[in-house]
Amino acid sequence: MIMARALGIISFSENHIWVDGLEDYRSIAAFSFLGRYRVIDFPISNMSNSGIDRIQVYIRRRPQSLVSHIGTGRHFNINSKSGYVKMMFTDSQEENDYYNTDVKAYLANLDQIENPSNNYVVIAPGYMVYTQDFDALLKTHIESEADITVLYHSVDDAKENYQSCYCVNLNKQKGVESFERNNGKVKNRNIFMDTYVMKKELFIELLREAKKTSSMYTLRMIINDKCHDLDIRGVAHRGFFAPITDFKSYYDGNMALLDLKTAQNLFDGSWPIYTRTSDSCPTQYFDTAVVKKSFLANGCTVGGTVENSVVGRDCVIKPGAVVKNCVLLTNVVIGEGVHIEGQVVDKNAKVTKLKELVADTQTPGYVKRNDTV
Amino acid sequence: MKQNNMLAMILAGGRGSRLHELTNKVAKPAVAYGGKYKIIDFPLSNCANSGIDVVGVLTQYESVLLNSYVAGGSSWGLDARDSGVFVLPPREKADANLNVYRGTADAISQNIDFVDTYEPEYVLILSGDHIYKMNYAKMLNFHKENNADATIAVIEVPMKEASRFGIMNTDTETGQIVEFEEKPEHPKSNLASMGIYIFNWKLLRKMLVADMKNEESNHDFGKDIIPTMLNDGKRLFAYKFKGYWKDVGTIDSLWEANMDLLDRKSGLDLDDRTWKIYTEDIPTFPQYISEGADVTNAYVTQGCVVEGEVKNSVLFTSAKVGEGAKVHDCVLMPGAVVEPGAVLNRVIVADGVKIGSRAVVGSADSEHIELISKNVKGVE
Repeated sequence: MIMARALGIISFSENHIWVDGLEDYRSIAAFSFLGRYRVIDFPISNMSNSGIDRIQVYIRRRPQSLVSHIGTGRHFNINSKSGYVKMMFTDSQEENDYYNTDVKAYLANLDQIENPSNNYVVIAPGYMVYTQDFDALLKTHIESEADITVLYHSVDDAKENYQSCYCVNLNKQKGVESFERNNGKVKNRNIFMDTYVMKKELFIELLREAKKTSSMYTLRMIINDKCHDLDIRGVAHRGFFAPITDFKSYYDGNMALLDLKTAQNLFDGSWPIYTRTSDSCPTQYFDTAVVKKSFLANGCTVGGTVENSVVGRDCVIKPGAVVKNCVLLTNVVIGEGVHIEGQVVDKNAKVTKLKELVADTQTPGYVKRNDTV
Repeated sequence: MKQNNMLAMILAGGRGSRLHELTNKVAKPAVAYGGKYKIIDFPLSNCANSGIDVVGVLTQYESVLLNSYVAGGSSWGLDARDSGVFVLPPREKADANLNVYRGTADAISQNIDFVDTYEPEYVLILSGDHIYKMNYAKMLNFHKENNADATIAVIEVPMKEASRFGIMNTDTETGQIVEFEEKPEHPKSNLASMGIYIFNWKLLRKMLVADMKNEESNHDFGKDIIPTMLNDGKRLFAYKFKGYWKDVGTIDSLWEANMDLLDRKSGLDLDDRTWKIYTEDIPTFPQYISEGADVTNAYVTQGCVVEGEVKNSVLFTSAKVGEGAKVHDCVLMPGAVVEPGAVLNRVIVADGVKIGSRAVVGSADSEHIELISKNVKGVE
């Protein structure tokens, strides 16, 4: 049980990351994903499955949705006496969001980081969807004797995608030379997964140094400065990877899983993804239903056509409605005779009056929470 | 106990042998139903929704799975400080060497010590194997208003079927029970007992103590306790229940109860957000319907992957239907797998059972529903 030594930290996104529409209401970590999950279910389940049982979730803004989802944390399979899933608030009074850095949040809760007996920290973002065995990653880190190990994902479409992500520049020995914002000029890049493993002592030292350097410094910035003083190694991640860093990546991340093989790769039976149950009943398909290539959560009633879409919990697709290339969040109603295509429809919205709402998949549209259109 | 001073005891010891292989390894209350539920989720959820905090579950036959299923009670929210679900299998006691429950009443008698620790004013006795939604708090109000010693929930059944039930003959004005007849040949009323009783605990306790010593007794509520109370001139009332109620005693009736979910007019609405049925939470991905699938008039839950044709059927957690397969008028229990090209008509496929590719099982015009409890080989 090596993992007993790692404290799990789930970080919030830096302020260059913004998801239009959805993020007005909740943090990315609390976004609905694939109908049934929240984005944060993935990092928490990764930690829980890796034997990390002390997990701190850092929250920058709009905490309500995330707090009610995490609750006591026991649905994440964590022993609530010996371990915890704890929500950490920054309590910052700063008007300017640029001062609300991860470093500031960690320092504000320093006693909570210092106190537990854990020797290591595993830091993973609350805004990226992937599975990873952190126990294996920690073993790799310890065996390599590196100071810091980071995860990256090699992609060949960095020109069009991953615009809000950073890249790791590696030397031949997989040593990290620098972190650099993806400039969209090169196809093949190693996308940084904002995931770190290091000794807790070093982590705290870096926090103090970041604070001394600049009040706007983030953990990534101070580590970037240290690339030549410290031994920082990159480990390649394999499997499904969807960073939720802007509106398009949220849409694309959901749509990518409509390929069954891709989905089965992410949802491997030996690596359960936990979430909070809502006790919705199963989904009912009526005689008029036509459903193709879609994921549906429970509690829906389907009388219309659903194609290449993700349908969240408790949605109603009325007879004669056509839903194509859409991501519907919880409790959405698509009315009779409505043709909706290429849209993200936020929670509790009703599309009943407009009979046609069509966008192509390259520039998906958005229907606001609680809206009736 | 803070809410209504009533404790519930669920009789969940029955084997349900007419469900054949489905109850080989689990007791009837633990049989899967309705896509994601087990039968016992219904009384447990009704208790939780009725504000009952403490529930005893009396188990006997093959109780290991049932015990671990209900233990803790967190699935139904019955895990606050003052609440709980307690599994009560027969125990050896210092003063008696009893290791089985001899009847429904005996199951309660042997747990008088458990009930006493909560000092309830009322005790609600339930069956663990009925599917229905009922607010027991309303029944308790009825019990109190009548100043009753016992209240028995009844449901109107067709007169020609009444001889299959325990029938209550009542004073039509007041609802007071004047006579109880177990499976009468010539029924005088069509009010069938649902096996749901509210008793004043002090009185019931006295009667159970006496019943334990009575060697003539079957130690059964219907056969012994209720008739004795009527003989003693106690005030017994019939509480009329209106709504969906089903005792899923056979393969046919279990299938029917599942099919009732497809019919919005059947009266069983599990989509009612004010009276949710709670169940165990299983981590699986949402249901996936593929490009080539055709799913109509179906009830499907999380973890299912459908690549074939599904009509008039209920699919339970993580059931799979392969490409080109046809599943008509079927119930696929948790983890059942229908391989590509297989054709299924009017069958229940038991938990985890695999139907090989292009195999043909069941028949569209069969009189009874077939239970498939062993893997079926594919056709080359």
